[in-house]
Amino acid sequence: MKTSDLPAAIPCAPVYDGWASKEIRGGYTSDLLSDVMSKAGEGYALITIQAHKNTVAVASMLGLAAVILCNDRPVPPDMVEAARAEGIPLFSTSETQFEVSGRLWAALRGDAP
Amino acid sequence: MPLVRADLHNHSCLSPCGSLDLSPAVLARRARDRGLDLVALTDHNSARNAPAFRACCRREGLAALYGVEATSAEEAHVLALFATVEESLAFSEFLQGHLPRLPYDPRLLGDQAVVDAEDNVLDLPVLYLGAALDLGWDELCLEADSRGALVIPAHIDRLAFGALAQLGFLPEGPYAAVEALHPQVRGEARGYPVISGSDAHHPEHVGRRPFVLELPEDWRSGDGTVRLEALREALAAGRARPYWETLPPSNGR
Repeated sequence: MKTSDLPAAIPCAPVYDGWASKEIRGGYTSDLLSDVMSKAGEGYALITIQAHKNTVAVASMLGLAAVILCNDRPVPPDMVEAARAEGIPLFSTSETQFEVSGRLWAALRGDAP
Repeated sequence: MPLVRADLHNHSCLSPCGSLDLSPAVLARRARDRGLDLVALTDHNSARNAPAFRACCRREGLAALYGVEATSAEEAHVLALFATVEESLAFSEFLQGHLPRLPYDPRLLGDQAVVDAEDNVLDLPVLYLGAALDLGWDELCLEADSRGALVIPAHIDRLAFGALAQLGFLPEGPYAAVEALHPQVRGEARGYPVISGSDAHHPEHVGRRPFVLELPEDWRSGDGTVRLEALREALAAGRARPYWETLPPSNGR
């Protein structure tokens, strides 16, 4: 599954365009960035409500494939700017972290949604 | 230059997690008994006990700052401190508009009491003050700074509600200092001056982690108000020593 496949698996929309699609190897769900730093890995999609530019920095350090912002959290402009600069794809969804995690887990296993 | 014993992080009975026994009067009396010179009141997201705290500090002969410990949307805590009660109340009023309308049961979440200097209850606010504001960290810090506050990220190395745990690392900001719990914080403070604070929630917490600040003779103006500029300059000049640097040398560690 690739980053560009996300909107087919989860009702979400990219926050900006022009990012490069990457292979999604796994996912991690957390709102504490210190926890994300210790548990998420390269190629993971991060499922979170932590809409702050630090999330992009963490995603960039870890080589995350995407950040999915849940609950329609407003995305600050400086976060979008940082994501654009770092090439981190951002997605926004009205669904909860629970729902998105379930969908992504099923999609990565190859189950029907 | 005078060495001032300061403690800029203290709650009162207005904080839902604060003891009802920790009224502004008890806070000021205990602070004087513990030998503090400068004390701030920082309830969660509200400064409504600041008027009582001013009266109590005058009674005890203490210098006071008035502010809040604000909770950003990311659930990270930051202290915003003002020289006057009026400024703290204006900021507090601004914050009330950014608190969510959550169900609040004092029995489960704790009482929130606005009191006077004699411990009489004046009001019991119904808006839950322990909630996160809908203001992001950067926006919140900049708003406090633009109002002239000393902005100090609280207990940045605490696992719950500390900036490092919530945000992974400390974002740059208009900070006069950062408050830490442990000396190990060093590099994570990113060069901002480090202070300690008691984060008192119960009477016995008052004065447990003060810091010492070397200030110029004129750190208080004629009417007793603290000059925030003097504090800002002393902090920036590295004249603060957190409590772990003021303890007597090693006890066998």
